[in-house]
Amino acid sequence: MNGYPDGIVKEPPEWLSRRRLLDALILRLKGAGQRLAIVLLDMLAIGVLWILVSYIISWHVYGVIAYTLVPWWLFGVGVVEAAAVWESFGRSLGHRLARKELRPRQGGKSTLGQRLVYYIAWHITVLPMVGLLASPPWHERLAGLSLVPFSMEGKKPTPWWRTSSGLFMAVFLCAAVAAAVSVTMDKESLTRLFTQAGRTVKFWKALFSPDTSILLPSIRDLVVTIFMAVIATSFAVVVAVPLSFLAARNLMRGPIGRPIYTVLRGAMSIIRSIEPVIWAIIFLVWVTARRAPFAGVLALWVHSIADLTKLYAERLESIDPGLVEAITSTGAGRLQVLRYAVVPQIINPYISFTLYRWDINIRMATVVGVVGGGGIGQRLYFYLKNLAWQQAGTVMILIVILVWAIDYLSARLRAKLA
Amino acid sequence: MTSEAAAGVRPKARAEGSTLRRRFLSFLLDWMIWGYIAYGVMYLLNAYWWTVPLERYYSTLTLPSWGWPLAVLGTLEMAVWSRNLGRSLGLKAFGYEVWGADGKPPTVGQRVKRALLWHLSVLPLGAGFWSSPERPWHDRLAGTELHVLPSSPAPKRRKALFSQWGIMSLLLIALTIWLGWLIIKIDPRVLIRRWDEGSRIWLEMLHPDFRYFARPDPAFELRNLSFSILDMAVVTLFMALLSTILGAALAFPLSFLGARNVMGFNPAGWLVYFVMRGLFNIFRSIDTMLWAVIFAVWVLWGSPLAGVLALTVHTIAALGKLYSEQVEGIDPGPVEAVAAAGGSRIEVIRYAVIPQVAPSFWAFTLYRWDINVRMSTVIALVGGGGIGDLLFYYKNQGDWPKVGAVVIVIVAIVWAMDYISGRLRERIV
Amino acid sequence: MAEPYLVVEHLTKVYERGQVLALKDVSFTVEKGEFLVVIGLSGSGKSTLLRCINRLVEPTSGRIFLGGVEITRLSAREMRKMRRKIGMIFQQFNLIKRATVMTNVLTGRLGYNPTWRTLLGLFPKEDRELALKNLERVGLSDKAYVRADELSGGQQQRVGIARALMQEPELLLADEPVSALDPATSHSVMQYLEQMNREDGVTVLASLHFLSLARRYGTRIIALKEGRLVFDGPPEAIDDAKFKEIYGEEAEQVEVR
Ligand SMILES: Nc1ncnc2c1ncn2[C@@H]1O[C@H](COP(=O)(O)OP(=O)(O)O)[C@@H](O)[C@H]1O
Ligand SMILES: [Mg+2]
Repeated sequence: MNGYPDGIVKEPPEWLSRRRLLDALILRLKGAGQRLAIVLLDMLAIGVLWILVSYIISWHVYGVIAYTLVPWWLFGVGVVEAAAVWESFGRSLGHRLARKELRPRQGGKSTLGQRLVYYIAWHITVLPMVGLLASPPWHERLAGLSLVPFSMEGKKPTPWWRTSSGLFMAVFLCAAVAAAVSVTMDKESLTRLFTQAGRTVKFWKALFSPDTSILLPSIRDLVVTIFMAVIATSFAVVVAVPLSFLAARNLMRGPIGRPIYTVLRGAMSIIRSIEPVIWAIIFLVWVTARRAPFAGVLALWVHSIADLTKLYAERLESIDPGLVEAITSTGAGRLQVLRYAVVPQIINPYISFTLYRWDINIRMATVVGVVGGGGIGQRLYFYLKNLAWQQAGTVMILIVILVWAIDYLSARLRAKLA
Repeated sequence: MTSEAAAGVRPKARAEGSTLRRRFLSFLLDWMIWGYIAYGVMYLLNAYWWTVPLERYYSTLTLPSWGWPLAVLGTLEMAVWSRNLGRSLGLKAFGYEVWGADGKPPTVGQRVKRALLWHLSVLPLGAGFWSSPERPWHDRLAGTELHVLPSSPAPKRRKALFSQWGIMSLLLIALTIWLGWLIIKIDPRVLIRRWDEGSRIWLEMLHPDFRYFARPDPAFELRNLSFSILDMAVVTLFMALLSTILGAALAFPLSFLGARNVMGFNPAGWLVYFVMRGLFNIFRSIDTMLWAVIFAVWVLWGSPLAGVLALTVHTIAALGKLYSEQVEGIDPGPVEAVAAAGGSRIEVIRYAVIPQVAPSFWAFTLYRWDINVRMSTVIALVGGGGIGDLLFYYKNQGDWPKVGAVVIVIVAIVWAMDYISGRLRERIV
Repeated sequence: MAEPYLVVEHLTKVYERGQVLALKDVSFTVEKGEFLVVIGLSGSGKSTLLRCINRLVEPTSGRIFLGGVEITRLSAREMRKMRRKIGMIFQQFNLIKRATVMTNVLTGRLGYNPTWRTLLGLFPKEDRELALKNLERVGLSDKAYVRADELSGGQQQRVGIARALMQEPELLLADEPVSALDPATSHSVMQYLEQMNREDGVTVLASLHFLSLARRYGTRIIALKEGRLVFDGPPEAIDDAKFKEIYGEEAEQVEVR
């Protein structure tokens, strides 16, 4: 009460207050976002299925590669209409994934008429998208249906082959596998798979009768590989640790911090999605093949920086804010908080991630050798290319032993740190 | 920390079953560290002093034949003395510390005595350890004890960097980087000297040539078919898809054979378990790229089938190991319940094990899908097919703008798949 | 009646791992239709005793007879058959958390159906109807197709009871069925057990933590202490002195209403 008698001072209606308006807006945006996600998901699923089917047909029937078989606008209209029909008359994949269903607001079962109204109104609501902002959205209001959380309470489940989503997924999977099989398996390779097994017999034999004369030089290459991994990892740590603080969402706030965070994480995930082998190719051209191990180290280094920064930053993002609060409340400065609240929480995971990455780098170093990145990989590739199976088998044994040992060591150390 | 320790008296060594083994491992660690230092010193002498041509002698030791026993004995002695005169890395790593029997830090005299007596204890076939492994002769005669410290940090007497193990760690790191620098022939100046070549690649790649994104490139033909970048991207995705499905389907039944709790504790079960786990580990430690070479020679160089097979083999091994570890970590409660209702072993698996592990199985499979997409983008390098074929073809042509286009498509694919599999994994867990 | 329904003779169990002597020469008998409560401190061997009876734990020595059959000498196959008649409910419910309540209840019929059917999940229609009936009996019929981990603790234990009911058991082993529940829920669960005992004539062996619950529901009580049988008699016979002997000097009786 504001001290005046009732009715003297009119307060604005409650829904007009700023908070209420904001709340309403957020609620509507959330609802619209969810419905939009459902629609997009359905359209994506239908579109991909269409493409898969056309791909199979064009590959087998016409002997060319084509993706839609119809003009692109027809494809677009088809996908949109199919999604609309599916969502109006059934429980679509999107509904299912969002654990939602359409039910009449009054309860009971929905009628075909309601569904038809929903289908028609769908076009004027969802396509221009503004209609979704109403609460409930127009098409739902007109049809008297509402999108509510789905619950199994007091219901009997329909087996998957009696639901539209189940059937769709089955067809989708079959189409995907069929397309994949027809693309990757041509007759020639398949016959060779069964007739040419003899070509590798020497190799399997060599696994039991290694060629000891190449042991010493191979071990030297092995040493190079280990050093490649060690050097790449340790130099990557030096860069990744400071970067991780700049790439942690919870530490980088405000108008300066947030852009740095976004740019860094974006760059890191781009770098990470290029395999070290590709990096090695680029660096090999740069530093020339004469310095193969150097190129390999650079490739591993770049990839490790991106990977470690992401791992470290994710760890930083999940630190316990309670401890930070506790230390801050003692009046500690920013650096002191870092030293006493953040560092103790991250030091062990950081070491553990580093060991993990070192483990990966050993494997990667053997692979990078294949493109000419030096070390044991290069030697192995040389033997394999020249069909020197016995030598290849010997080197393979060495690699297995090395990878095994490192795997075991790093797993043991990490278990101790955890 | 116990109140005893707080009062300055050290907790006694815990009598552990594997005391001797731990002691031996700790010593071995020290010995290996000194061996590594000797190797490093020899290498540096080779490189700088005797100026042996690096090209031929990287990681080679030019030692006269009589030098080897000397090196072995020398490193052994160094290990012994470093363990006795301070807290060596080996002691630190296993949580050991030498203390006087009276509960005080040992005097220098005691330390020297212990080092000398060590030979008496160990050289006659370890006779000193026979009577009491916890306190062998040299400890007894020198009046010292080897304590196992509790894992909580002991009160520090000295800053880490001034202790022996601290100095040693620093030395090892420095030595490793120095050696690595030499062995790998790192030369940052090359990067600058060849800056023009390097920057030219980068610049050309940043001006990607997307002309043949959807239109087949007439210059690039594979098995009498022309492919565009888009076509190859689709092929790549199919390779990853097929190998993930095949790999997961095969790893699923095998993983139960590699789970100790499912196989039971009878000898036959142990045997199957060990064979399965061993196979998983061996096949896993040979990288997909190396498998691809084998299959490419076997099937056909450049055929996607070779890539699919290589990815599948590695997927089976990797997923098999992850799956069986999940099976081993299940809650035994439901297993008990199903068995108590009269379920046979296979029914126990169906009703008590699979429902428990299903979410993590899906998560691992999605994770593997992610890895397979990454791998399939480059597997063409070793004859595995996929979008890498284009990449390496254009790279060999020196057509860097097209390489740039392919790399951008690869990034987009990997990114999208990473995102999707990440989102799906979040939903499952 | 010549022989009691359940006979346990000189039962001893040593866990190989850690060489724990969990049960020492325990002997007792149970008549058909009894509600026998096993009490004792935690670690006294209650769970081990119950699990020896359906051989989820292999006894080290001693013999167990159930309805004249020597359980301890059955082969694994015969034992599985025998387990159909022995229902069991657990402290931690031990439901398949990610499966529906229906599936959980149906697992009680595993022993009755051929393996190929159960592997495909093809339970006969009668079993499904029986499952719905049993769920109705424990008051959960509308939750039949809800996932088990969406239920509260008391509801989960009732699913456990329905699962045991599916076996149409002659003997029910209940290992601390209410220890993870609050007092009010405890009584409702115990009443279902009592109902099974009175109406279906199921012999019940339940281990309980609270003496008050034991007195209220048990027709007879046995007590274990460090693996030895230290008491066997009617509930009224446990006086303060006996209580102190079983639970140790410092123990106080706690009431659960
Ligand atoms: N699987 C097992 N391996 C080794 N020891 C066990 C095992 N299960 C129980 N024990 C030991 O057997 C003893 C009796 O345990 P238990 O029967 O679970 O007692 P209660 O159910 O009365 O708490 C305890 O000392 C326990 O530590
Ligand atoms: Mg117990």
